[in-house]
Amino acid sequence: MKKKLLAALISVAMVATLLAGCGGGGDEAETTTETTDTAETEETADAAETEETADADAAATGDLHLEIVSKGLQHAYWQAVLNGVNSKAEELGVSVNFVGPDSESNIQQQVQQLETALNANPSAIGLAALDTNSVMDLLQTAVDSGIPIVGFDSGVPGAPEGAIVANCSTDNLAAGATAADEVYALISDRIANAEGTVRIGVVAQDATSESVVNRGVGFITEMGKLVTEAGKTVGMASVSNERYVTDSAIEVNDEADVVIEVRVPASVTSELSAADASAILEQEDTIAIYGSNEHSANGIITANENLNKCGTGEGQVVAAGFDSGASIMNAVRSGVFAGAITQAPVAMGERLVETLVAAANGETVEDIDTGCQWYTAENMDDPEIAQNLYE
Amino acid sequence: MTNKKKGNAFTNNPIVRAIGVQKIVVVVVLILLLVFFSVKSTSFWSYASLLSIMDYTYYLAFLGIGVTFCLITGGVDLSIGTGMFCYALAGGFLITKMDLPVIVGILVTLAMGIVVGLANGLIVSKGGHAPFLATLCTMMIVRGLGAIITGGSSITWPIAGTPEGWTRNLFKFTLPSGTKVPLGFLWVLLAAIIMSLFLNKTRPGRYIIAIGSNKEATRLSGINVAKYQTLAYLICGFFTGLAALAYSSAFQSMTPGGGGGVELNAIGGAIIGGTSMSGGSGTIAGTILGVFIMSILQTGLPKVGLQANYQQIIIGVVLLVAVYIDVLKNKKLS
Repeated sequence: MKKKLLAALISVAMVATLLAGCGGGGDEAETTTETTDTAETEETADAAETEETADADAAATGDLHLEIVSKGLQHAYWQAVLNGVNSKAEELGVSVNFVGPDSESNIQQQVQQLETALNANPSAIGLAALDTNSVMDLLQTAVDSGIPIVGFDSGVPGAPEGAIVANCSTDNLAAGATAADEVYALISDRIANAEGTVRIGVVAQDATSESVVNRGVGFITEMGKLVTEAGKTVGMASVSNERYVTDSAIEVNDEADVVIEVRVPASVTSELSAADASAILEQEDTIAIYGSNEHSANGIITANENLNKCGTGEGQVVAAGFDSGASIMNAVRSGVFAGAITQAPVAMGERLVETLVAAANGETVEDIDTGCQWYTAENMDDPEIAQNLYE
Repeated sequence: MTNKKKGNAFTNNPIVRAIGVQKIVVVVVLILLLVFFSVKSTSFWSYASLLSIMDYTYYLAFLGIGVTFCLITGGVDLSIGTGMFCYALAGGFLITKMDLPVIVGILVTLAMGIVVGLANGLIVSKGGHAPFLATLCTMMIVRGLGAIITGGSSITWPIAGTPEGWTRNLFKFTLPSGTKVPLGFLWVLLAAIIMSLFLNKTRPGRYIIAIGSNKEATRLSGINVAKYQTLAYLICGFFTGLAALAYSSAFQSMTPGGGGGVELNAIGGAIIGGTSMSGGSGTIAGTILGVFIMSILQTGLPKVGLQANYQQIIIGVVLLVAVYIDVLKNKKLS
């Protein structure tokens, strides 16, 4: 009897926890559907409106309607893009419908959203495709019906010639170079006065993603240029990942005045990134380290928790990161990181609307670098920068 | 019993027999690895290095202890790697995005582990599915679940130094002087001792070993096989929940869909430590030693100037040798 009672109690507790767990998830799912629902209703309402106005005012005002399909909605990054879109749309007096799938793995949902967007017969479409192949047919439909598509964020990689009229995205090579400029300013004296070799480490998430590789290569190339201009020799550490060595066109040389060491873990997990960051930080001649995205920068933070070597003081390792997030922002604020690069999602949203309007009006448009910012403990609360940071 | 007769002076030594040959071999390998890394890398023999190894060991040890129970029944749990990420994401989501108290996040993390463990156990014992396939399916399910709960964004548990960041102090405590103490080792040791006693000195523990040794004989002697098989998976789920807490306390962030492959490090640790893939034998102490070999390899290899891809090859070879020893042992016994 006792046993049965105990079993019953445990079952109740388990069901309760299960429900609690599901409750959290359920709420989440609900809000998601709501957002999509409202988005859809808005969208249909907008579409209806556009059709009406198209008949009535087309000749008079030339009111434009834009459809934007992003890679997500919930994440603070996309909310920041949306803020930029809304403010610019208001300024230019155009109507915009901004949608995105529930998660970055929900390709099918994004395809449907793009289809709905096309059916609304907008003046132009903004698109950050999750998977180019799945939207290939729809891209052709857009070309056939004369609706220009502008890529944004990661754009529409591998899209057929002519399908995308322009891209509004961060120039990752330039962003990496900005990080190199800022880091170099802090270590130039130490490089100039060094007697032996000094080492600059780069922790990269992988050697396959174009954006990740370019942020690393941009940093390495610019750093190499600055060091050479200062009359010192630069080489890559022999342990460096081949892809980065090839792309940056700096030769392997462990004896150079400045050695750049690029580490790429075998798989994208926090503990391996941290182990790589430790291996760089532990070398006596390391004077700077750069993590080329949130994941890698977090690896440096974990490694430094045990090693306590990063900072801007005498003899400390100058560390720099990329993107924001709770840990990186805390590292920048507390001086563990000298600074970090953030993309400018708000500006991305603004440039996107401008480009879409220009494309809708039949003007020639070209690719736009939506820029990046170097944020430090001093400037990270400026509204201009804070709007691009999120935990 | 032929192996006893065949044994040499070393294996017949009563002390050696009491500890177990494989464990002695593992300890020797462990010492050799430490010597090798200390010689090859000047920075290896440092307190900071010890702290990194510990960060890496905590979650792997919890996963290892849990999965040892599944392995001993002759099964396996492949859902522990992605499960660990899923539970940590869910718990962290409740704390950081829904602003719920930290304790709620911890309880949900552990509860999810227990529920998924129970489900695994029931599917295997009552449903009669092959453990490999059943847990491969739950592995996919929890991977998707983690991404859905967080809406696809990565999650960072409250960072150290904030009032909510106390979970991190449970594993790495910072003294007023700034020295960090790897407190988590105490919890791993405690868990290992308790689970070792449970496995060897209690009836349910012995039943779990019996199931892996000879399932039919166990059933015929009147033991509820399904019940104790389920218990093994439930224990594994609970320890996966503990591992999720250890992981989110040691590292900065978890990405939805991550954690794949971690289960193989834990299973590898257990096998190196002498747990048999075919069930019926294994010890918690062996698993802890095996996990240490895995974490020393993973943290030491980057320091000796090897590129990541070569590190993978070396770890793969080490596992292959461990599995081969297991195969040899089974041949001898039969």
